[in-house]
Amino acid sequence: MSNEVVVKVRGVTKRFGDRVIFENISLDVHKSEVVAIIGPSGVGKSTFIRCINHLHSFDEGTIDVQGFRLVGGQSPSKAELQALHNSVGMVFQTFNLFPHLTVLDNIVLAPMQVKKQARQQAIDRAMHLLAMVGLQNRANTFPKRLSGGEQQRVAICRALAMEPEIMLFDEPTSMLDPELVGDVLEFIQRLARTGMTMVLVTHEMMFAKEVADTVVVMADHGIAEMGPAREVLESPRTERARSFLRRVLNPVGSPREPNLVANGGDDR
Amino acid sequence: MALGRMSRIRPLSTVSTVFIEVVRSIPVLVILFLVYYSLGQIGIKLTGMAAAIVGLGAFYATLYAEVFRAGILGVDNGQREAAIALGLSHRDVLRKIILPEAFFSILPNATNQLSNLIKDTSLVFTIGVADLMFQAQSASAVTFEPMDMFLLAGVIYFLFYLILSKVLARWELNVQRSRS
Ligand SMILES: Nc1ncnc2c1ncn2[C@@H]1O[C@H](COP(=O)(O)OP(=O)(O)O)[C@@H](O)[C@H]1O
Ligand SMILES: [Mg+2]
Repeated sequence: MSNEVVVKVRGVTKRFGDRVIFENISLDVHKSEVVAIIGPSGVGKSTFIRCINHLHSFDEGTIDVQGFRLVGGQSPSKAELQALHNSVGMVFQTFNLFPHLTVLDNIVLAPMQVKKQARQQAIDRAMHLLAMVGLQNRANTFPKRLSGGEQQRVAICRALAMEPEIMLFDEPTSMLDPELVGDVLEFIQRLARTGMTMVLVTHEMMFAKEVADTVVVMADHGIAEMGPAREVLESPRTERARSFLRRVLNPVGSPREPNLVANGGDDR
Repeated sequence: MALGRMSRIRPLSTVSTVFIEVVRSIPVLVILFLVYYSLGQIGIKLTGMAAAIVGLGAFYATLYAEVFRAGILGVDNGQREAAIALGLSHRDVLRKIILPEAFFSILPNATNQLSNLIKDTSLVFTIGVADLMFQAQSASAVTFEPMDMFLLAGVIYFLFYLILSKVLARWELNVQRSRS
């Protein structure tokens, strides 16, 4: 990770109607940094990362992404949004592959429509990406025929085909059967090693500890704690973070300390 | 019309909505009479055939508009978001994602409506166009066996409907098969 800040969030507040989802969030994401966002369900993690690529607007503050500035309460121009979406890829909890298109057509659609790539060039790149996850022989299948884990890997390929600078992941494995989680996480980890900048909402604490540089704990309409992954996960300083980690790491409520459970991951 | 109703352009969406709701709430028969007789009174004289086409056309256009609207709104919002996140323009999102996907949910509904349309052509005889029921009525006047003639008309409608619905069902099946 370098010193260059590629996502700069300052004082961002988001409301749905009168309801405040989060308030005054500030955060820097550096080039090649992996930021994991954790926190209880409903706290606004998804809403927050959707603000970064403007799937949601926000009410106050600013978000600078790769030199483009989103301002609370203002709508960016079409050209600005286009540029934003060109440099930020997103992977969803529910995969959201286009069911009427084959795996290959899912991947080549945006490069051809948005970047005006020639079909053959787009196909070459798509096949290269599919080969990275061992799915090159599924190129002409429809998404419905794939397992959840395969669909999610295709969805990651689809985002990567646009050659983004930053990738956003919203709980990429929480809809998967446990035995399918590994392949997807492994792909994301490989991506992290190539230096991809990533913001990742996850409930996989071990994965966060292994792959993330920084962990952000969201609670009570804001960021409760933020810091180096290992520190935050093993010895959280705030009570909010501690109580959240105690609950996720010890769902059945045995009286162990969180760090005893979180100590499993090996050094990178 | 479906796109009009969902349009962000206010006057367009209001006009579409009002037109759809009004026409949809009136029975087809009344619409046919309105088009044939009432328009005639204010000086727009239509032949029976033209009135039938305009009347049934308006009614089914609005029904289809609603079928399309339901289909379009029925597309999972995640599809829209994924397409936007990939940088597709609104036009491409509609053209490449929403409409093709809506098509699959629209198809069964749309073919149902087509069958209804065929049956509703029988109403047209009330304004004197020579459709099947009208022929049956005149035939019965000659043969004095009205029941037989109406029965025959019913059978012919049924056969026509049966053939059409089989054709449409096969088409639907093919479409579905191509997706799974
Ligand atoms: N489109 C929306 N309209 C209104 N409320 C919403 C919308 N999306 C999310 N919310 C609300 O915002 C809160 C945060 O949601 P979300 O960001 O999905 O939480 P998380 O991802 O942390 O589980 C929830 O209470 C949710 O009900
Ligand atoms: Mg969420």
